[in-house]
Amino acid sequence: MDTRLKQRNGLDVAVSKSATIRPTGPQLVRLYTNMVRVRRLDEFLVDAYYSGRLAGPFFHSQQGQEAIGAGACTFLRPDDYVWYTHRGHGVCEAICKGLPMRAFVAEHFGKATGSCNGIGFINTCAPELGMFGMGGTVGGESTLAAGTALAAQFRGKGQAVLCFLGDGAMGEGSVHTALLMSANWNLPVVWLCSNNGMSMWVPVEAAYPKENVADLAFGYDIPSTIEDGQDVAAVYSAVHTAVERARSGQGPSFIEFKTCRYRPQVEGVADYCLDGLRDPVEVKRWKQRDPIDLCARRLLEEKILTREDLDRIDEEALAEVQDAERFAAESPLPDPSLLDTALYAS
Amino acid sequence: MREITYRQAINEALHEEMERDESVFILGESVCREQWDTHRGLVQRFGRARIRDTAISEAAIVGAAVGAALAGYRPIADIMFSDFLFCAADETLNQAATHRFSNGGKTKVPMVIKTAIGGYSSSGPMHSQCPEGFLWHRPGLRIALPSAPYDAKGLLKTAIRDNNPVVFLFHKLLLDVRGEVPEDEYVVPLGSADIKREGADVTVVATSYMVRMALDVANQLTRYGVSTEVVDVRTLEPLDLDTIVESVDKTGRVVVVDEDVSRCGVTAEIALRIMEAVSRPLLAPVKRVAAADLPIPAGHLERRVLPKPQDIADAIGTLMNIDGRLVVEGFSEKPGFSVG
Repeated sequence: MDTRLKQRNGLDVAVSKSATIRPTGPQLVRLYTNMVRVRRLDEFLVDAYYSGRLAGPFFHSQQGQEAIGAGACTFLRPDDYVWYTHRGHGVCEAICKGLPMRAFVAEHFGKATGSCNGIGFINTCAPELGMFGMGGTVGGESTLAAGTALAAQFRGKGQAVLCFLGDGAMGEGSVHTALLMSANWNLPVVWLCSNNGMSMWVPVEAAYPKENVADLAFGYDIPSTIEDGQDVAAVYSAVHTAVERARSGQGPSFIEFKTCRYRPQVEGVADYCLDGLRDPVEVKRWKQRDPIDLCARRLLEEKILTREDLDRIDEEALAEVQDAERFAAESPLPDPSLLDTALYAS
Repeated sequence: MREITYRQAINEALHEEMERDESVFILGESVCREQWDTHRGLVQRFGRARIRDTAISEAAIVGAAVGAALAGYRPIADIMFSDFLFCAADETLNQAATHRFSNGGKTKVPMVIKTAIGGYSSSGPMHSQCPEGFLWHRPGLRIALPSAPYDAKGLLKTAIRDNNPVVFLFHKLLLDVRGEVPEDEYVVPLGSADIKREGADVTVVATSYMVRMALDVANQLTRYGVSTEVVDVRTLEPLDLDTIVESVDKTGRVVVVDEDVSRCGVTAEIALRIMEAVSRPLLAPVKRVAAADLPIPAGHLERRVLPKPQDIADAIGTLMNIDGRLVVEGFSEKPGFSVG
């Protein structure tokens, strides 16, 4: 037991001691701005789902979990690799890594200007940003993430790989075998588990024998830590501590973020939990620690931004979403000839 | 020309392509030594960084290959028995096969899954299968299944250089088969069937080990005055239908032979494609020879399930409308591995 705690605390301690890995004032502003941009875009996509404008029949809102993708991806290198999940269809990870909103919305509208040329829908592909899309099976990206980490290790240029997972993915064998490979080969990968307490409609306590899914990393000798997924500065510190470990050849890390998805598992379906509904009081309690509100409060308290600044950031985010919407609406549908060229590379 | 074994041909292709391109590496379970002895000398020459032993996890082997391929490398995922590839079904069928397509053609997945197929060794249902029907069903994979040393080397080299996931299926019983292989550099393009034996009366379209069996049957049938053409498909995806149909147009009769089960199988697909494409009516309905629609039993009953030479001869006899039976002798290569 002692050994196990030490392993976890190894990263815990590293995070708490990494005084230099703290977002500066300007960095915190960017993190806040990205969270607002992603929230407004996510809200727009929820609306677009209900008004029948999406190319596919679902949207998995990530509202409430913005701090994790923003804190992790905003300050990565362009050549770092990021693997995301179906939660938000990667909206937070992709936008914060640098994907233009236009490409994201156009893909969700099934347009030729989308990031997958209009046939990926939930896929977000931006090889220039180290994002190769997702599969569609939960946890299915994890072994691919290990492979990109192996490529990064071969290349030896300090690239890091971030692989996002939900708590639900921890039931998948492929995730565990990817963790094992990353530990065996000391791969430069950071496993980021957003534990929102729900594996679809199954609460985490019904799916796992222990409270913390980070405990599952112990067996692979992967240093782990459990962090507040609502505090973007904490996310930034933990992830960048782990990213520095990856870049400097110290191997994989596992970070569990405690968080909450505000909305149902998928739009258009009730917010189920087991054979009933999720307790709305619980979600309301989480909303009191909304990641955007928490960050705004801190920015005001530390006099980094004024109330007017916050309003302006919000207005700009809304304008950016409107621009992306207009762009997507006016974009053409994909040409059927894409079907002849998309399957095999020449 | 010099003769080498099918095993040596695979080994040479690996040596040459790893020398030629530093981005090529092999990962898999026990690949430094390798069950089928196709990796001789690789780890000594290229080191453990490029010949990577993994934990026993087909999912990790294939999935990591997909990831490394996306990131610019040319991995060879080594799966000891093709039966085990089903443990990596998601990574193979969902990820490798569809990744580029789902991304609107923006990515490429240049990788090889190299794995051993085939029965006739009393190894039971999970060490004997031929998965080509399953794999061919999935758009996005390329499939090579050589029957001779020349093809094994040339196709594996092409597979490694191809910018798509290629499943390279080598047959366990062919490993010790010898054949002519030039010492000079050459490749065999994917999508080029090969006429292994010319004939006038009937075409046998076959895959992998079944090509050897069909050739042996064809040679035996000359004593009955039957002239048999044998077409080796060499790759299923892409399929060189033109060469196959040209042969069938010439002979007017065709037997399709594959070691996978018949139901929804390779023989069914090729037979129908031939019927759709021939330019003159067939002289007799297409015949198929494939494994029975059963799991493959270990022990003596295995021979009742897998295709045998007499099945091919019987099919030809029916097509030729010959009275009496075309009796052929049994045929088997010496197994290229220990079955004890």
